[in-house]
Amino acid sequence: MTTESVTAKPASPARVAPSVLAGIGAFAAVGVYVLVSSIELGLWTSLGPGPGLFPFAMGAVLAAMSVVWLLQELRRPSETAEGVDRGLVIAVVVSLAILAAVMDLLGFQLSMFLFLMYHLKLRGGRAWRSSLITSLAGSVGAFYAFNFGLNVSLPVSAFPLLNTIGL
Amino acid sequence: MDIFNELMGGFAAAMTWQNLLFAFLGCLLGTIIGVLPGIGPVAGVALLIPLTLNLDATGAIIMLCAIFYGTAYGGTITSVLLNTPGEAASAITTIDGYAMTKIGKAGAALTIAAVGSFVGGTVATLGLVAAAKPLGELGLLVGPPEFFALMVVGISLLVALAGKSMVKAVISGALGLLIAMVGIDPVAGAPRFTFGMDRLLDGVSFVAVIVGVFGLSELLSYRKGDQPAAVHAPNFRSLLPTGKEWRRSAPAMARGTGIGFGLGLIPGMTGSVSSLLAYGAEKKFSRHRNELGKGAIEGVAGPETANNSHANAALIPLFTLGIPASPTIAVLMGAFLQQGLTPGPTLFTEHSEIAWAIIASLFIGNLLLLVLNVPLVGLWTSILRVPSSILTALILLFMVIGAYTINFSVFDVFVMIGFGLLGLALRHLDIPLAPMVLTLVLGPLMERSLRESLEISQGDFSIFTSRPFSAVLIGLGLLIVFSPLLKLRKPKALNEDPET
Repeated sequence: MTTESVTAKPASPARVAPSVLAGIGAFAAVGVYVLVSSIELGLWTSLGPGPGLFPFAMGAVLAAMSVVWLLQELRRPSETAEGVDRGLVIAVVVSLAILAAVMDLLGFQLSMFLFLMYHLKLRGGRAWRSSLITSLAGSVGAFYAFNFGLNVSLPVSAFPLLNTIGL
Repeated sequence: MDIFNELMGGFAAAMTWQNLLFAFLGCLLGTIIGVLPGIGPVAGVALLIPLTLNLDATGAIIMLCAIFYGTAYGGTITSVLLNTPGEAASAITTIDGYAMTKIGKAGAALTIAAVGSFVGGTVATLGLVAAAKPLGELGLLVGPPEFFALMVVGISLLVALAGKSMVKAVISGALGLLIAMVGIDPVAGAPRFTFGMDRLLDGVSFVAVIVGVFGLSELLSYRKGDQPAAVHAPNFRSLLPTGKEWRRSAPAMARGTGIGFGLGLIPGMTGSVSSLLAYGAEKKFSRHRNELGKGAIEGVAGPETANNSHANAALIPLFTLGIPASPTIAVLMGAFLQQGLTPGPTLFTEHSEIAWAIIASLFIGNLLLLVLNVPLVGLWTSILRVPSSILTALILLFMVIGAYTINFSVFDVFVMIGFGLLGLALRHLDIPLAPMVLTLVLGPLMERSLRESLEISQGDFSIFTSRPFSAVLIGLGLLIVFSPLLKLRKPKALNEDPET
């Protein structure tokens, strides 16, 4: 607190935001982890620099910069950015994770169709017709466009039943 | 004469109907990305890399380059018509561009912007033609220590210029290098930071990381109320500018070309700085400076020319030295590497035909954009009328396909999700993303040249200071990194630029 009263500028928030502290802590932790594991990799071999040398330097930079950042924050806490729309983040991340998890099982067309319907109909509140058309184009349409147009094959279902009907 | 012949050979190679089609598609897609406010050029180019995976190297790079400078054109359209810049580099165009729309001169503004972009882009490409051989030959004299020093300079410039805090920029750069190190070590063959996962032995997929950090995280950071305003059809009196408007634009275009070209060569400078400076130049030198802000054509011609001149000039350090000057170019460099081409001096010796075909295609692409841009204004504005929920869903669709098709594995989709969350955290902490992309691409090359240098010198670090060229470069890098101590100022625009 004493350093703050000496150097603090007026109109700056008084405390370091918890999210900033967490960020600094995370970077410092990654830096230290890299430092330790790059020593295990070997900094130097008889032939010259070892596989751990470059990561070691980067870990040191990361750890050192975290400390500098912490000191800067203690002296003059930065204003935190506005929060995010948590509902949006959770909806997008969870739906993407589910999509990625089932894509090899259900095939690209079916899983992407459901994914798009979720985002258009359930989250976007769009009309049935526009949701269905867009989802079909984005799933079945994209599958064939990539397969035949660009020679890039997207996954088909692992279930024989779905597979035989072309999904 | 020699260069002329090579360039003509390049035109012959670029003019096949497939390559023309790729250039056309690239221009079209690039303009769409530029028009859409939600997705920036970095994520846009990364997203479209998978489209080019099965093309031959020439076609793939032609298409990606067209996408790249197409984005610079597309950003203008929304600036002029809607007062919302599609890209940061076009932000300054809104002032006079939108003012012109309000007085019914949108058509003239767009035409002048397109012509200015064509002029700037073409002159900068001529610069590339002139610089390619001499700089490339100089580059061939460069050994591992010089190459390492060159990359140090490039990265320190970007770190020094990105964002508000250098500490945060260095953290971003170090993170990028660490991510690049995941996988089998390039010299000794030892696995590093793979956490026992076989999938990570080949490293983390570059496309998945970029799409996550730049694309997904941007989508995740939307808040309610961020949606752009409703689009009204622009009021056109005529698409053709008057003779007076042409005469007034010419000097502004000349100034814009010079500014964009000069700044485009410097790593870390973004197109926004060029367009801002060009606007500033008009305020100072234009004979009609008192009209600026009220719909003066110079306010469109100058910045738009500078923006495109910058975008094309930024390819010069990439082609000749292998140094990407901006995050978007770093992504482009990643695509080169993915195609087995290493940008830099060796490109002109090992893949001369490909290099010249790409350069020739830059001329063709600039011409295509000029032809495409203005007549298709109706199409561009209709894209903006697509509701945001549909747009979000489609962008997510492309991200998933993009991440998946790199290795045909859902693992990369998870990698993208993870890096999307990391990107969101970095945005929240106000850590610039640009240094990370650059080091992600340059990391492996940098480490290899460092270790090769130290093997040449048998572990003696003085190899970097005893060779004159590398000593100068290392000195320059140190000077840049310690520039805040010397109170050297950087352009204010860089602090606010979302591209950094």
